[in-house]
Amino acid sequence: MRQNILKNKRLLMIVLFILLFFTSLRIGAVSNVTFINLLKGNKLAWTILMSSRLPRTLAIILAASGLSVAGLIMQSISRNKFMSPSTAGATNAAGLGIIIAFITLSTQSGIIQTIFAFCFSLVSTLLFTSVINRIHVRDVVYIPLIGMMYGGLISSITTLLAYQFDVMHMMQTINNGSFARVGSYGMIYIIAIPLILAVIYSSKFSIIGLGEDFSKNLGLNYNRVVFLGLVIIALVSAASFTAVGPLPFIGLIIPNMTASFYGDNIKKTIIDLMLFGINFVFVCDIISRLIIFPFEMSVSLTISIIGGVIFMFYVIANIKRKNKSQIQSNDKLISRKNDKEPQIAHD
Amino acid sequence: MIQLKNIFQTYGKGHVLNDVSLDIPDNAITALIGANGAGKSTLLGVASRLLPVISGDVLLDNVNIRSIKTREVAKQIAVLKQTQSIGLKVTIAELVEFGRFPHCGGRLKAVDKEKIDESINFMKLNDIRDKFIDELSGGQRQRAFIAMILAQDTKYVFLDEPLNNLDIKYSVEMMHIIRKLVKRLNKTVVIVLHDINFASAYADYIVAMKDGKIINQGAVKDMVCSDVLNNVFDHNFNIIEHMGKRVCLYYGNHSHDLIPNFNSEDEFLNQIGHNHSATELDKSIEKSRRRDFFKFQYFVDKIKSKDKKTCSNENEIESRKEGTKMN
Repeated sequence: MRQNILKNKRLLMIVLFILLFFTSLRIGAVSNVTFINLLKGNKLAWTILMSSRLPRTLAIILAASGLSVAGLIMQSISRNKFMSPSTAGATNAAGLGIIIAFITLSTQSGIIQTIFAFCFSLVSTLLFTSVINRIHVRDVVYIPLIGMMYGGLISSITTLLAYQFDVMHMMQTINNGSFARVGSYGMIYIIAIPLILAVIYSSKFSIIGLGEDFSKNLGLNYNRVVFLGLVIIALVSAASFTAVGPLPFIGLIIPNMTASFYGDNIKKTIIDLMLFGINFVFVCDIISRLIIFPFEMSVSLTISIIGGVIFMFYVIANIKRKNKSQIQSNDKLISRKNDKEPQIAHD
Repeated sequence: MIQLKNIFQTYGKGHVLNDVSLDIPDNAITALIGANGAGKSTLLGVASRLLPVISGDVLLDNVNIRSIKTREVAKQIAVLKQTQSIGLKVTIAELVEFGRFPHCGGRLKAVDKEKIDESINFMKLNDIRDKFIDELSGGQRQRAFIAMILAQDTKYVFLDEPLNNLDIKYSVEMMHIIRKLVKRLNKTVVIVLHDINFASAYADYIVAMKDGKIINQGAVKDMVCSDVLNNVFDHNFNIIEHMGKRVCLYYGNHSHDLIPNFNSEDEFLNQIGHNHSATELDKSIEKSRRRDFFKFQYFVDKIKSKDKKTCSNENEIESRKEGTKMN
């Protein structure tokens, strides 16, 4: 029965995805990109579709699914539901990489930016995870807090460098998440690589989430899988940051919401997770394009507002559930005598 | 057979394991016992390849475990550390599926599915197989993890304190299950146990550890006797036999706690309800009762001093402190 429900949920998500996909293609300042015009072979319509609308939609799909997967893997590796690339300094380090690439090589070429961003965010996440593993934190909630401080530190270094070398204008561009950056979409296609890797290794990532001893028992090379996970996270952070800028909350709320709908078995939920993330960003993007049509807002703003509200709901629900489960466990103690559990035949 | 040869294991300064050699007998339950910090869990970790060996060899069927691929070892040895809440929404069926990972690498074949169903049925979890692990009671959760170990289909099973956090009913149930693993499925089980009585009732062999060394090992009947256990735990054991099983009473002989304490003769007389009156008879009675008090006091002192010698209360407390420090 459970599987049926899951299948229905997935079907719903796919239908929603198709609807939003075409809506996203349809919206834009030029209104003649319609299905009929395309069928008629209208050249202008086809040009707009192929050079602007489709890349943008693909960018949304890749960035959203990539960031959701990166968040999921990060949460699985750290066994902490409040971790994500943006709460571990990965995104900030990518920004630092881009600024340094610009200062040292004075280039804005996508590939070099991405390579720099990748190296910086990989080193930064490696540093962060190894430091976090050494210090014993009393409560897991402190880890993302430390991560955010660490991210803030990196950001301030970035700002300092940008200020010193007089490239503050770069800061503004890269810190503004938007799918309207014409021409820099190229790098987003890199995300396909970590996505495929993540799907292939999904069962290993679910086992990693159960702890080091557990993974070793099942014959998994724990360190290698963790490293692979960090590479995936760094690649996604770098490519998405270069191409569309920061998309806050995606890596944090999408894995959490998916987990509460579908559970934590990554192997089974990774596709649902991607669909969920994509649909979420589609909705946010469509809203930010329609709200002051024909202009558009920065999508990171919309995501921040909607994501922030959802995150608050999630946190509050979590607290409520905790209180409830405490009451329930008290009830359980009382009603244990009436427990009708199947008895194991003793022999 | 699993053999350990001259294992030295160090953390920081001291040796946690100091020249440990052990042959683990096949097709039996071997219980590791010892005080806190004696090195039981470390030994289990080393034997089950969770901890890398610093010096010495672990042989699995006469092959050094280091030369075998981890994935292959995982088909031979399964190990379960303490299983508190895992904090993830994973169903029982999904958890058991993880057990098949060493065999199928995450892609389940028909054989794997059969094995999963078999393990779930063996542990009587079929009715609740779609429940999340975190919704289960302690006993059910422990059974779910054992089901996963069963699906892993290994000859050797290592369990680190599987009775922790289980109440008595579930503890007994768990030990019955472990017996069944050996009897019906011909597995070899090594188990760290805190409660010597569970080891006495269910294990075949007992390995006693102290300060990182194996100080005694053998069949249960040779091990569960006060000479051995007194030495292992630095504590006085009183062993009785009940229905063919040996039971250890280790609650100490603090009998002086039960003896009323009197500060003076009068207090004693009041306590036994002596009437102070002036008749000759009463006076003679009072005299004999006062004598009784001195006799009583003499015995109390004797018992107390004897207790101090045998129980060595302070020593016990100190050794406990050391144990917690080492942990």
